[in-house]
Amino acid sequence: MSLQRLILNLHHFWAGQGCDLAPTYDVEVGAGTMTPDTFFRVLGPRPWRTAYVQPARRPTDGRYGDNPNRVQKHHQYQVIIKPSPADIQSVYVRSLGACGIDLHDHDLRFDEDDWESPTIGAWGVGWQVMLDGLEVSQFTYFQQAGGLEVSPIPVEITYGLERLEMFIEGKDDIYDLQWSDDVTYRDLRLDEERQFSDYNFNRATVKTLRSQFASSEKEAKMLVEKRLPLPAYDQCLKCSHLFNLLDARGAISVTERVKMIAQIRTLVAQVARVFVAPDSPAEGAA
Amino acid sequence: MEFLLEIKVEEMPLAHVRTALEDMSEKLKKELASARISCDGLRRFSTTRRLILTADLAAGQADRDELITGPPKAAAFAADGTPTPAALGFARSKGVDVSQLQVVTTEKGEYVGVRKAVKGRSAADILAETLPSIITSLSFPKMMRWGMGSLRFSRPIRGLLCLLDGNTVSFSLDGLVSGNRTTGHKLHAPEDIEVRSFEEYRAKLRERFVVVDADERKASILRQIAALVEPVKAEMYPDPALLDKLANDVESPFVVMGSFPDYFLQLPLEVLSTAMREGQKLFSVIRSGKQLPLFLGVADVVGDPKGFIRTGHERVLKARLADARFFWDQDLKAGFKKRAPRLKQVLFQEKLGSYEDKAARLEKIVAYLCWKVETCKSARELAAAAVLCKVDLVTDMVREFPALQGTMGGLYAKAEGFPPPVVRAVAEHYLPVSADDPSPASLEGAILSLADKLDSIVGVIGIGVQTTGSSDPFGLRRNAQGVCKIVLDKKFSLPFDRLVEKVISVYGDKIKRPKAEILDQLREFFSGRLRYLLEREGIRYDLINAALGAGMDDLYRVALRARALDVLKAGPQFEPLILMAKRVNNILAGQTAPAVNPDHFVEKAEKELYATFTIIKENVGPMIAKGDFVQAQKIVFRLQPALNAFFEKVMVMAEEPKLRKNRLALLQTIHKMLLRIADYAQVVVEGEKTGK
Repeated sequence: MSLQRLILNLHHFWAGQGCDLAPTYDVEVGAGTMTPDTFFRVLGPRPWRTAYVQPARRPTDGRYGDNPNRVQKHHQYQVIIKPSPADIQSVYVRSLGACGIDLHDHDLRFDEDDWESPTIGAWGVGWQVMLDGLEVSQFTYFQQAGGLEVSPIPVEITYGLERLEMFIEGKDDIYDLQWSDDVTYRDLRLDEERQFSDYNFNRATVKTLRSQFASSEKEAKMLVEKRLPLPAYDQCLKCSHLFNLLDARGAISVTERVKMIAQIRTLVAQVARVFVAPDSPAEGAA
Repeated sequence: MEFLLEIKVEEMPLAHVRTALEDMSEKLKKELASARISCDGLRRFSTTRRLILTADLAAGQADRDELITGPPKAAAFAADGTPTPAALGFARSKGVDVSQLQVVTTEKGEYVGVRKAVKGRSAADILAETLPSIITSLSFPKMMRWGMGSLRFSRPIRGLLCLLDGNTVSFSLDGLVSGNRTTGHKLHAPEDIEVRSFEEYRAKLRERFVVVDADERKASILRQIAALVEPVKAEMYPDPALLDKLANDVESPFVVMGSFPDYFLQLPLEVLSTAMREGQKLFSVIRSGKQLPLFLGVADVVGDPKGFIRTGHERVLKARLADARFFWDQDLKAGFKKRAPRLKQVLFQEKLGSYEDKAARLEKIVAYLCWKVETCKSARELAAAAVLCKVDLVTDMVREFPALQGTMGGLYAKAEGFPPPVVRAVAEHYLPVSADDPSPASLEGAILSLADKLDSIVGVIGIGVQTTGSSDPFGLRRNAQGVCKIVLDKKFSLPFDRLVEKVISVYGDKIKRPKAEILDQLREFFSGRLRYLLEREGIRYDLINAALGAGMDDLYRVALRARALDVLKAGPQFEPLILMAKRVNNILAGQTAPAVNPDHFVEKAEKELYATFTIIKENVGPMIAKGDFVQAQKIVFRLQPALNAFFEKVMVMAEEPKLRKNRLALLQTIHKMLLRIADYAQVVVEGEKTGK
């Protein structure tokens, strides 16, 4: 049992369901939902089946490696299928079986939990999936993204990989998890957690972050004007991560917070509109 | 014959299940009634994954004999009795031989006609026709689409079973076709099964780990809980809302009891129970009012022979409680009052500033309220509470468990040694959260809650944010309802306009909208919320209109006026007075009149009315002043005979302008007095038309 084995099992299972296995995206994101493989795939009419591992960075969740459950970077396994198949719930249940969980011995529940991300103008209806009281996945039928109604409707399944592996291994401390048979989570990630916690909370230069935010925003606006939604969206993601860093540094005042979130949301909505426009080069190529 | 419908869905929230069953039953009954199909013993069942209706229906519409009339007899038959082309044509068009025509006598004379038997339609046909539209017409607070996304519903529909007398009633909906099959428990019996009757359906599902009756599941949960807590001489801490939710969420209820380490009992009860209830949906266990280190959870399984479910919950809960304890210790160490300046960093509303600004306003508003409410003796404590009440927003605990806002403030204020009135005011100032929620128990809590809610409402409306049914980001409706509920529960008599003006003035130059505009909108806004609460008391809508029509002078007095009308509405004097008031209203419409001049009265009846009115006015004044509207109305009833005589004997619209103006002036003064009690013209009276 290891996280690596879990990822391989999920890859194997979802590839078997006809998903293309996308590579991890190389811009920092707060959640797998934000990557282009979800954001752009849920827009527009074309059917998609995609699965991938995505590290999710949440600077304010950092605990210097001292907390057994909270980390500033964790890993999500993201599945997007559009349109949502009629038997998707039972497919999901089978995926847990494929991860080695014998559901006859456990309590699996779909508990009402609608999802919303104001920053990317997205919301959906769904559940948090609870396994013996532990939230192991988020299961969502997207209804809107980038402020636009989506059709057909995609289903998004997000597994919290560390949570799920802690369940499988029966461990109470994230750092005790096996990454592979002979490497632990501690070996791989503890230093990273310590250093990034220090960076996020204490070292990041606020002035630099601010000027980077302004540059990325400017770049995004320019790219929207040039009708290049894919690179424009990368710049939006950079803005979002810089905002999270500034937040962790405690550098954002009340009014600024509202303003910055609105700035990103507006940009993302413009990106979405350019992407779905009938003459969009991106949608044509996609 | 027996009807059975099962709509299989992905997990629906309890509130949606309830409205779906309710609406579906009502609509089905209505459709069947209009199709003349009798429907008896309609019963509803449900789980989070199934909506179930069953009833006893007639097999179909009764066959009917229909009489179709054709041409007049004179035109249909020649003198010798042979049928004319008109008769032949009529017979042919109805598909009968001309010999089957018969003579029918109607009001207009003799006609030929034909009697035909019309076959009634079967209930199955009617069901197949109406069920799809009933299901698609259901509406939910939040709707979704799925798949190719044409249908909107609460959650995706995944199966339809529909039987009448054991036979499938076949209809299609969004690509699904109804049949006679269903499935058992999602994990433990997912195979298809075939059923022919409700009893078979229920029994087969029971074998397959699904109990279709929510009450039965609830009873089973309670029975299992009782069996678990009895040996340890403890009891479950009651949480009816959680129990209802869990009884909905599981098809096969199984209760597990687990424990957590004793040392977490140092945490306040409120923190423990919130940590258990939120996320894991666990019940607390108590013994003689004291929390025990135990919890009860409801699983959707047949059993937990290996103890995985119990230990899983224990592990998750332990991590959550460890977090909670960390936050509690951190917060105590960081201090409470001294963190007040950090509210500067928390935004209340972009144009209205931070929570620090809000706290400063609350200090002024509670001072005003305390001065206005006679029983308030704790101005100093209220001022302290106003400064403290939002500080828990910057504590770690409230950031982790937002539902504990207010509660934590109270606990931290207590830990820092603030006196009980301050602690209570801080702890209770968010109450009531809903119309069913209690108002703050303490006077201080009630005043601080009023101040907080009024501040939000006046501020947000003052900067022109519009609230609609679907968009109310600041919860203004809930807040306004809270204000009305507190005012009614605590019997606070407060002049509405002055109160609003006070709050506007506290905002200073932050509010730029004209005062009159804000007041207009707020009167309207509060009327709506007050109306809702009064309707819940069972008061008729027209009586509420009459009470509101007399003016939005004071929320509590509006309620008193409405309740007085409600008390007196059944009495014999009520209706005549209403009719008379309406008559006065009609005559005055569009008329202007100077002041009454007693010297200008000439008729006996008008002099008497004036005399009676003068006495009544004197008597009624003090009653109105002290808010005794029942007494005030009883006094006003005495005006009715004099008014009656006046209308019978005096010509209001006299030729002579001096007389006419004076009579109108008299009615005007009477009207003004009545309007201080109620706008009687808005009361709906049976036989109103004859009264006019």
